[in-house]
Amino acid sequence: MQQIVELNLLQFSIVYLLLLIVLFIMKKAKIDQVKLLFVASLRMSVQLALAGLVLTYIFQNPHPLFTVSYVLVMIAFAIHRVLSKNKELNKKFKQAIALSLAISGLLIIMFFVAVIVGQSVFNPQYVIPLSGMIMGNAMTGVGLGIKTFRESTRVEQHRIDSLLNLGARPKKILLPFVNRALETALLPTLNSMVGMGIVALPGMMTGQILSGTLPMTAILYQIAIMIAICTVVCLSVFGSLYLGYKTLYNERDQINLT
Amino acid sequence: MHILSLRNAVYRSVTVFPSIDIEYNSVTFVTGPSGSGKSTLLRLFNGTLSPSQGQVFYCGKDIEQIDAIALRRQVLLAGQQVYLFSGSIEENFNMYYEYLGLDKPKPKAIEEYLAICQGPFASEALCDTMSGGERQRVYLAICLSFMPKVLMLDEPTSALDEQTARDVIKNIRTHCKKNEITLLVVSHDKEIVKLYADHVIELKGEEHATNC
Repeated sequence: MQQIVELNLLQFSIVYLLLLIVLFIMKKAKIDQVKLLFVASLRMSVQLALAGLVLTYIFQNPHPLFTVSYVLVMIAFAIHRVLSKNKELNKKFKQAIALSLAISGLLIIMFFVAVIVGQSVFNPQYVIPLSGMIMGNAMTGVGLGIKTFRESTRVEQHRIDSLLNLGARPKKILLPFVNRALETALLPTLNSMVGMGIVALPGMMTGQILSGTLPMTAILYQIAIMIAICTVVCLSVFGSLYLGYKTLYNERDQINLT
Repeated sequence: MHILSLRNAVYRSVTVFPSIDIEYNSVTFVTGPSGSGKSTLLRLFNGTLSPSQGQVFYCGKDIEQIDAIALRRQVLLAGQQVYLFSGSIEENFNMYYEYLGLDKPKPKAIEEYLAICQGPFASEALCDTMSGGERQRVYLAICLSFMPKVLMLDEPTSALDEQTARDVIKNIRTHCKKNEITLLVVSHDKEIVKLYADHVIELKGEEHATNC
């Protein structure tokens, strides 16, 4: 095993030439997303460069406050992303989502770093990258869960109205939608666990191997992070939906889905 | 005696109902142009909507003082939109009963209620492949089978041909009279209103409603 080869900046910049292939195919196929391709590449480069600079600074000057701030910003961003796609939700539902993402995220991050890795919860080298993976997956999961819940209740509005008119309890009417959305949100994570190691080597493991970590150590990390991700997705989606659906009806048992 | 009353109710400051009384065990039809608040009126009566002003009374009691679920089971609304689950007629009865926490209905009862609604279908018949009119009758039969104190039907015959519509309303009327169920029906069918109404409430839109 050898340590990772440092990329020479000039050599590195050649990789952008690959985008010409994408550009060429997009032109040929008349895909009108050239602007997006440029914006996306540019944003990615700038954002990652900034993250690199910030991380370099934090690693060189480790301070609990930096680590905590970085994680909080990540959590805030995850919450913002989910809520910005669901602007019509009522305020309490949004609070439920924010609370669920924050609490389940923090819980799993702390458990992973302190108990599994055995490092300080303020160690930026472990906390920051692991938090990124955990919060990123929680965000996607909650986004998918909420989307599924809202779409299915919209499609089945007549079923909800009919049951309510006949005197069924809102809880009993809405819970099947909640459970189905939770299932839908969990499936991608479960499916990726099924294919892991056969179809592709997952990102974190690849990164660790590239940087010289022994494969057996890398797989232990990978297994641990997958279980952590599965748990955080389950917890955050469960929390968001179970706290959230209760905000959709009032004390007169009237349902208002928006 | 008035089983349902409404006093100066306003819904979302657009729909205004001054004063309406529904007589016990009567058959009352609600008519009026679309947008005049017919469906809103029924929903105010069973508490799936609350008026922004004014009061609604059931048996003389302000409905805000009555448990909402208990009220809806007594003042039952068969909405304009028919909803049936995927599956057979029997499965649909069972599903609705389960949602309300009730024991499965007996096959004999299912058959009886289907007959009242002019639905000579086998209870194993699949609702998914039925026509709109057939589904409407199955839905009515399910609603009827809950034996409420007040049965409110919102355009119950919209998918039925003239003759079937009349027969269905006639049967439901007879059933309700016999079982002391107060019947409140929204309908556009003038002929049916003329034939079967004890009372007619005409909603005229924005401002007025008259009790005749």
